[in-house]
Amino acid sequence: MKHNLGRLVGILCLVYFSVTLLQAEDFTYDLRVTKTNPYVKEAVFLTFDVNQTNHDIVLLFDFDLVKKENYSYQRVDIKETNDAHDLHIRYTYLIYPLQDGEVDIHFKLRKRVTTEDSVAYSFSGDRDNVKGLVTKDYSINLPPFMLHVKPLQKDILLVGDFTLEYSLKNHQAKAYESLPFNFTLKGKGYPPRLNNILPKDIKFTLFSEKPNVHALSSKEGTHSTVNYTMALSHDKDFTLPAISLKAFNPLSEKTYTLHIPSQNFKITEVNKTTLVDKVNIPPLLKENWSWSKTLFSYFIVFISGYLTARAIHWQKKSSKTETIHPLREKIKLSKNKKELLQILMAHNNQHFSSCINMLEDSLYANGKMSLKELKEEALNLL
Amino acid sequence: MNIMNEKIVLLKKELSKAVIGQENMINGLLIGLLCDGHVLVEGVPGLAKTTTINALSRAIKLDTKRIQFTPDLLPSDIIGAQVYNPKDHSFSIKRGPIFTNLLLADEINRAPAKVQSALLEVMQERQVTIGDESFKIAAPFLVMATQNPIEQEGVYRLPEAQLDRFMIKIVVKHNSEEEEIDIMRKAAKKSFDPVQAVLTIDDLQMLQKEIETIHTDPELEHYMVQLIAATREPERFGLESIVDSIMFGASPRASIDLYKASRAQAFLKGKSFVSPSDIAEVIHKVLRHRIVLSYEARAQAITSDDLISTIIETLPVP
Repeated sequence: MKHNLGRLVGILCLVYFSVTLLQAEDFTYDLRVTKTNPYVKEAVFLTFDVNQTNHDIVLLFDFDLVKKENYSYQRVDIKETNDAHDLHIRYTYLIYPLQDGEVDIHFKLRKRVTTEDSVAYSFSGDRDNVKGLVTKDYSINLPPFMLHVKPLQKDILLVGDFTLEYSLKNHQAKAYESLPFNFTLKGKGYPPRLNNILPKDIKFTLFSEKPNVHALSSKEGTHSTVNYTMALSHDKDFTLPAISLKAFNPLSEKTYTLHIPSQNFKITEVNKTTLVDKVNIPPLLKENWSWSKTLFSYFIVFISGYLTARAIHWQKKSSKTETIHPLREKIKLSKNKKELLQILMAHNNQHFSSCINMLEDSLYANGKMSLKELKEEALNLL
Repeated sequence: MNIMNEKIVLLKKELSKAVIGQENMINGLLIGLLCDGHVLVEGVPGLAKTTTINALSRAIKLDTKRIQFTPDLLPSDIIGAQVYNPKDHSFSIKRGPIFTNLLLADEINRAPAKVQSALLEVMQERQVTIGDESFKIAAPFLVMATQNPIEQEGVYRLPEAQLDRFMIKIVVKHNSEEEEIDIMRKAAKKSFDPVQAVLTIDDLQMLQKEIETIHTDPELEHYMVQLIAATREPERFGLESIVDSIMFGASPRASIDLYKASRAQAFLKGKSFVSPSDIAEVIHKVLRHRIVLSYEARAQAITSDDLISTIIETLPVP
């Protein structure tokens, strides 16, 4: 009864820290926390209300907490009105202080001022024609909020209200056969992520997986389910030592212990000669040089690619030197007028049109120019 | 010079008011217009392609339209569609921009294959079917399609069968320095003279008929067929050096277009007969998009123009 009363008083006496300031006459804000003196890893809810006071403008806000090592946080709710000129937003955060003493919670707030026309313009865009919202942004400096965090006892592993369930299907197995062992931590509080639950000096082989964590944060707190899956193996009888996890419930301010009693396992021997693997982690029969083969193949592919590119370049260069026959030489070497006409026509150049006309005149009409004269004419046009 | 040639000179003079230089493109367009063919133009932006076709439409009093091809274009955006009228619950035909005399299909390779096919089908058939109704495209009908050679991403390359429907392919090059100075000055002063209508559609039809009277010697006809055949079987004409460079030669449509274009070229030069030089002046335009180059040729940066030049140089003229 005494404790219940204490809890009630504690809840009723949650210190609501409220700061209300007028920011450039455009808006007011209100910051509240459910507790200012929590324990380490105890959930603290923070609400931040922004209320627009200048209704002539369109206001938008960006608010968030600043990441720090001495606390973790998560936004669990945001509610806002739909009125562009009378904006009210409530942000709700769940904070877990991670160290004792004075912990400052830092904030970042940006005020964005815009107009209805700007909003309408940004809405007129579509997927292929995105139109950005033009705003004038102002960074608002909010003072940090201090939590006075109470320390935990040294051996506390879990903070919150948790239960522990475990399952062990068999207590008997053949030598080296695996014995599956699962246990689940379930409850409300700081998500339990425990890496070393079993004692370090165990005398059996332990196969373990990364714990499977399901954590859901809401305005109620964080509900977590963490599954630890492992398998035990040995060639003779062994004992799994008792597991004890010390936990602390900040609401009742009570310490409690989650316990798995020690387990004895009976192992029957097997004929080792019938086993496929007789040696644990046998030495390599031969060195694995497959990486060098892969490296070599990459090298060959690179070299062949490089050489192919070079070969095309060389071929292009040599073919150019072969095919680019100086036109001057071709004209000089032409044996008759028709051959000269072919050469000039093939060149597809308006420069030679007068010479081509003379050639055609000479070949098909009454022109009387000689081949020599025509060649000279063509050479002059070069 | 007969009266018809005078009209051509007049037309060219009128075009030169709006387009400085680019004789090759203007000649190609005129050949296409006179031979009832279509023209594919390849060139970087800003080389007066649209200006030329607009000037041509004004100089001959022709209707002109422009379609900018984009990846989201639909065939109905070109040919038209049936539109539902909710007032009387009936469908009416909305004709697309294809119903014109001169159509500038800008950046044709930006649209997907189904849109290209829709246009190229109309180019061939000169008829459009919307719903149950078929419509003839009024003559003259010239499509000038442009391609940008520098951008290769996000483009749909025209297949060879479709390319074959273009009578000629013109590669537009930059103007000479002198011409560019002239363009700069005129553009800065906005002193381009307005293009006046100097030809009518009737004149154009008469010019088209006049071309049919241009004489082509049977030996030259044979020469033209040999030039085309050399693209298919180069080894038969002693062109072993280009055998590996050609994957597919030109189609019979190329022979027809070479024949027509040579006559138009002779006409544009004021001649009454075709000579080998007329053939040589148009053969690159007619064949360059019809020869399919092999991988080896492309690797060695050999172009279809190089191969055509080799063929002309090797094949004996009549």
